[in-house]
Amino acid sequence: MKPIQMYKERQAVNKKLHWLIISICLLMCSFDLYAQINVTGTVKDNNGETLPGVSILTKEDGRTHGTTTDINGKYELKVNQGAILEFSFIGYATQKVKVGNANVINITLEPENKMLDEVVVIGYGSVKKKDLLGSISTVKEDALAERVSGNVVEAMRGLTSGVKITSSGQPGSGATINIRGLGSLTNNNPLFIIDGSYAGSELGVNVEDIESIQILKDASSAAIYGSRAANGVVIITTKQGKEGALKVKFDSQITLSWLPRYDLMDAETYKIYDNRAYDEAILAGVSGVTKRQNHYDGNTDWQEEMLGTGVLQNYNVSLSGGSKTVKYYASLNRMADDGALLNTSYDKYGFRINTSGQKGLFSYGENLYYTKSDRKDLNGNPWSNFISMPPTIPVYDESHSGGFGYGDVDRANSYGLNPVAMQELYKSNNEEEYLIGNIFGQISLFNMLEAKLNFAYKSYMGVTNSLRKKGNWTMGQGDDAAHLGYSSAQYHDILIEQTYNFKHKFGKHDVNALFGISYNKFHQEYRWITKLDPLTIGDKYITSLDAATGNTTAGGNYSKSALISYLGRINYAYNDKYLVQLTARRDGTSRLPKDNRWGDFFSASLGWRISNEEFFNIPWINDLKIRANYGTLGNSSIGYWDYQSTINTAPRAVLGNSDNVLIGMTQSQLSNNDLVWEKKTTTNIGFDMAVLDSRLRLSAEYYYAKSKDLLVYLPILMSSGNEGGSPAVNAGSLENRGFEVELGWNDQIGKDFAYSASVNLSHVKNKVLNLGYGQDVYYTSLAKTEIGKALGAWYLYKTEGIFQSEEEVQSHVNSKGKVIQPNALPGDIKYNDYNDDGIISSEDRQICGSPWPKLELGVNLGASYKGFDLSINGYGRFGQKIWNGAAATAGDFANNQNNFNGIVPWTQEHPVNDRPRIVYGDSRNSRSDQDRWLENGSFFRLSDITLGYTVPTHYIKRIGLEKLHASVTLQNLITFTGYSGLDPEFADSGIFQMGADNCSFPNPRAVQFALSFTF
Amino acid sequence: MKKIIIYIICGATTLLTSCDASLLDIQNENTLSTGVFWKTESDIEAGLVATYAMFYRQGTWTRNIYTQMNGMADDGVSYAGWTELNEYTKFIFTDYNFSECNTKIWREHYTAIFRANQVLDNIGNVTFTNESHKNDLIGQAEFLRAFYYFYMTVLWDNVPLVLKTSSAADKPVQATADEVLTQIEADLEDAFTKLPSTRDSENTGRPTKGAAYGLLAKAYMQHHKWEEARKCLEWIVDGEGKNYYDLVSNYGDNFSNKTENNKEALYEIHFSLAHRVGFDQTDNYLDPNAQLGTQIEMNQAPTGIGWNNIEARRWLVDYFKRERTTDGKYDERLFYTLWYDGAATDFPEHPNQLIYGAPWNSDWGNRVFIKKYSTDALPLYYWNDNNFRSLRYADMLLLYAEALNELNTAPPAKAIECLNRVRNRVKLPNIQNSTYYNGTQITTNKDAFREHLKIERALELAMECVRWIDLKRWNIDDEATLNELKTRDSDFNNFIISKSIRMPIPQSEVDNNPNLNQNNQY
Repeated sequence: MKPIQMYKERQAVNKKLHWLIISICLLMCSFDLYAQINVTGTVKDNNGETLPGVSILTKEDGRTHGTTTDINGKYELKVNQGAILEFSFIGYATQKVKVGNANVINITLEPENKMLDEVVVIGYGSVKKKDLLGSISTVKEDALAERVSGNVVEAMRGLTSGVKITSSGQPGSGATINIRGLGSLTNNNPLFIIDGSYAGSELGVNVEDIESIQILKDASSAAIYGSRAANGVVIITTKQGKEGALKVKFDSQITLSWLPRYDLMDAETYKIYDNRAYDEAILAGVSGVTKRQNHYDGNTDWQEEMLGTGVLQNYNVSLSGGSKTVKYYASLNRMADDGALLNTSYDKYGFRINTSGQKGLFSYGENLYYTKSDRKDLNGNPWSNFISMPPTIPVYDESHSGGFGYGDVDRANSYGLNPVAMQELYKSNNEEEYLIGNIFGQISLFNMLEAKLNFAYKSYMGVTNSLRKKGNWTMGQGDDAAHLGYSSAQYHDILIEQTYNFKHKFGKHDVNALFGISYNKFHQEYRWITKLDPLTIGDKYITSLDAATGNTTAGGNYSKSALISYLGRINYAYNDKYLVQLTARRDGTSRLPKDNRWGDFFSASLGWRISNEEFFNIPWINDLKIRANYGTLGNSSIGYWDYQSTINTAPRAVLGNSDNVLIGMTQSQLSNNDLVWEKKTTTNIGFDMAVLDSRLRLSAEYYYAKSKDLLVYLPILMSSGNEGGSPAVNAGSLENRGFEVELGWNDQIGKDFAYSASVNLSHVKNKVLNLGYGQDVYYTSLAKTEIGKALGAWYLYKTEGIFQSEEEVQSHVNSKGKVIQPNALPGDIKYNDYNDDGIISSEDRQICGSPWPKLELGVNLGASYKGFDLSINGYGRFGQKIWNGAAATAGDFANNQNNFNGIVPWTQEHPVNDRPRIVYGDSRNSRSDQDRWLENGSFFRLSDITLGYTVPTHYIKRIGLEKLHASVTLQNLITFTGYSGLDPEFADSGIFQMGADNCSFPNPRAVQFALSFTF
Repeated sequence: MKKIIIYIICGATTLLTSCDASLLDIQNENTLSTGVFWKTESDIEAGLVATYAMFYRQGTWTRNIYTQMNGMADDGVSYAGWTELNEYTKFIFTDYNFSECNTKIWREHYTAIFRANQVLDNIGNVTFTNESHKNDLIGQAEFLRAFYYFYMTVLWDNVPLVLKTSSAADKPVQATADEVLTQIEADLEDAFTKLPSTRDSENTGRPTKGAAYGLLAKAYMQHHKWEEARKCLEWIVDGEGKNYYDLVSNYGDNFSNKTENNKEALYEIHFSLAHRVGFDQTDNYLDPNAQLGTQIEMNQAPTGIGWNNIEARRWLVDYFKRERTTDGKYDERLFYTLWYDGAATDFPEHPNQLIYGAPWNSDWGNRVFIKKYSTDALPLYYWNDNNFRSLRYADMLLLYAEALNELNTAPPAKAIECLNRVRNRVKLPNIQNSTYYNGTQITTNKDAFREHLKIERALELAMECVRWIDLKRWNIDDEATLNELKTRDSDFNNFIISKSIRMPIPQSEVDNNPNLNQNNQY
């Protein structure tokens, strides 16, 4: 539990005690001086439950007296007629009732609209949401509760603005998250803070354990994390016990999922097209092609072989409760994901114990999470193989080593990879264990100063065992020896942090100051072993390393890093109207050369709550605040020793006789030894508004961020001779500007019907201000990045339809009358001669669109009626262009690959204008860098639709339950898009070539059934 | 209260000072850093070994050079199922970033040059006990650098000359083919003075004076510097080289892994099967166990046996069969060079020719496969240990003949003698007595002699990656030559004059280096 929250609750408890004592005294001392009546009654909540401990106060003749409700929610109080009773209870709206003639006054307290008093965690502390100056989005447990995912990041999709989440689609593998576009060119992962400890990712934290997630998007909010926060910060707070009796909560979910499929030709159709491609090749005189293929007679649906229904089961039990001095929360989680792809699965256990307590000035807390998972990995990308494997090839073929079917020069001249064989002949199992925990102690003095020592520890152990059986999965594959592989990685991450927090209110001045120091140390060891020729018993391979008889090879290395940080923050508010926050942080990292190691990061924020001004008199606006901030963040998340050039000791050569193997050493990878901190400066202005009894909330902001000295592994020229990856370099600068709007509406109609709707919109635009090594422009095979423009614009050959006749070929001329494609035949693609030189060459590539969405949208709708609740979440991205790699892979039969049903290639009889004739052995029409593969990638997806039902309390009380909830969720079932690939939403391959869908893993579609009960 | 705050702040400061900035000094001892390397003789030696290690790459002499060099020339053709690879040998260059036969070759040649440059840049700072050892190492590095530049300019003509240890920001300037050859010549002239004349058996595979002059002769020839070439060839054939080099009596010994490092080899790239693993340094550049073998066999073995990325054109068989030996048989070079339907009857002394254990497959029809460098591996293994004879004495004899012919108005006796030595070794009569060729005209007419050398070289050196170099030297960039080539190799129908004589430079390299232009018309 966060210290400030605790502090508040403690204060509240103190207050209650205080009032209780006063009221008791008052009661005891009261005299019957006036005509009084005895009022009794019961206080209940909106669910009809009685509420104990509600305080009831009245003011008479300047004296305040009152009482509280007993365990059954009953109260009794003597008051004068006409007195006003004030019923108050934490979490409920205070009600005032004038005492009339009635002796019995029953009250139903409505839950308070807590929005404005909501507390937001901001890193080393928290503030009330209304006082927030930075840009922070919050995701609460209720929003996460019914998401079909065992992964925290995926579960956050579409719930907040300015956050782009893309899942990888594979069981047990993480999703990527980008906050406000790309700030950096190396690493765009935000910093994760899990209960006060640093983490590089969500580390498999159990979704059910999460109380809230805060996403710190701008510099002022994230500044306290300085060097590590350039990509934003995700703060995950796990659940803490609450005072009260033991509460047991059980959740279970079963999710059935399946993956979308390409609409590919079956063997019969394929043969028709493939024969035509050969006929065309023979006719066109493609050398070496003299007859059609002697097709295999298989009819394999490779997708059917590989894809099934995934079954994910997730169970969670939590226990929580506590007394005034000790609170606890414990949970046990089990997840079993039997993947939708052949031989893939993910299995995870986790348990958590969070405790906290206090004694006098001293308080402490501990969060401990352990998780163990086991994943059966996928070998390769089956999605591209589905296309490249001809359907005529049978899955199994006894004549091949290993027994699987694949290409054959005569029968299916294809280098496609048999995905079933890849999965069967190579097995890889990845076991991981995490232990994440922190413990803190804190002393509070005079209710204004807290000194805290936090110690966080993270340990990881990952082991991958693999078995390569003997056998092949493609034509012409080498005769690899069977072997066993073992690799292990383990790391320890230690964080020690001291913070001092001063908090006080003097009259109209409210000050909150923080100072701290932290030391973070990381150590990783990696080892691997390969041993050849495992023994077999019949068909079974023995996988113990001792049972392999061949050569053993092994290797290993270590990585270490350290970070020292000094941090400070002052929040000041005057009269709840004028708000200021100043933050400073100084970081030193071991990843940069000694002279450039330290970086300083400052930020300042201002806020003005206009609604608290005297002159502000618009009754329907409950709260209005404008805010502005400016700050600098850093990034040094590069390799451990990127600034150092090293010697590669692996080269070997043979001289003299053939056993005379000599050891070579040389520098293979170049490095830049002058690396410095990457810095990102952000300006953010925005406002928050609550109107119409706080039912409507609106936040909007505009930001401008400029990154300088970007650390990037910018590819360098091959003529440098560099090998092993591009060196890190401080390469130029990048600008991101954008706006975000969050609009939310909450209302209740009558007693039973409540509904809510929220929409978030964001727009971000990036511009390259400078590139590394003095370059003005940087190219990849499909895209061009130019100073002054957005990153990675599509740079392709433009096509102008299909040549319909020989005359058309001859009339496709440049301005000087030169025939541009003299060798083309009718049915070939007509390319645009951009530079008008009369030939199609690399100079004819041109900008063909942007991979960047113009707008991102998230929509969340919720409604509840009596026990039913319905929520609908959707999100979309609009205006981006996607390069459809699947279509490019299918191409036009140049390589005997399969293709999609319904394609209509050009023929003399059927002269279409969008798809060329199909020719085997001629790649000119199917080149991947043409604009024919570019598509509009806009989409809107209804990601989750959940219908739930809460069984009324009176039915379940008898069987001892407090709450019983059942729900069904439909995930990703409806997507509106014009994109013809499997999924317009996929994991990008590199920042300089965003939006290239290289047969990426599609997102699964799923139905989830969930049951949850509490007792 | 203020006091307490002060105490706490003081206490805090005490705690804070314990965080020492030296905690950030973390050493990387996973390997050596460049700062501590290049200090001793053994460092330089290891740097040189790393340069030799570049032979075992897909883009160098393990695999793709053979496809590209033989495929573009008129003696080779690719019917590979991999359409792009196949097209690349047919002057159909669609994707200039095609890895297998373009960027990989480019990149790995520059990696080799980078390694050689490191040796040359650092050797000056190291004290050697033996100056001639130091010179030997310099000579070897120069030879290797020249060797890689030679193949680069043969493929692309206009490549950047990188002669110093690279740094990441380099944007090297493009050189013309002429400038590249001049640099190669300078390196080799110097290497010749520094290298020893012979190597002991532990050190074969390191260049000698003969290797330096052999490669230098090729460079001068390519540069049409006939006199300079003659000087080198004279040293090899009639000078000191006479003591070390000669033709072997059995032509086939030049391509067998059982007769390596014989007197006909001026330079051999050494291969070994000492590392029997399934990967090479291209895929795993940090693994010391990577392959040291070559895939030349796998690359060229027939359909259904190997990858069949490259095979021979049928005209070779016909040309070989035009002439008979002095004992009335077919030219045995045909037997050692090619597999084709009918070989069994043409060479009755070898009635049971098997191709990696398989008989001739009638589906192969008229096709001709490459036999040179095949071993008796059974079944065909992914790699083999057969050294590649990069510079062969027979090649030198024919070059000598060519240079002498160019320097004179008619072929001198020495030139004719060299040609005849090559012919006599395989029992062909002196050219004057040829049953097929017009020997009188050839031995008296400069042009006729040159034209005959073109045929003799095609037959003697078929499928050894020299034909493309020869074609470039003889200039195929004119209509008449092109038309003749088209009759032998229909791939030349795609050849565009002043364009196809060189390959497209990898596009990403052109795009990202402002000092580098794409080759003409690409």
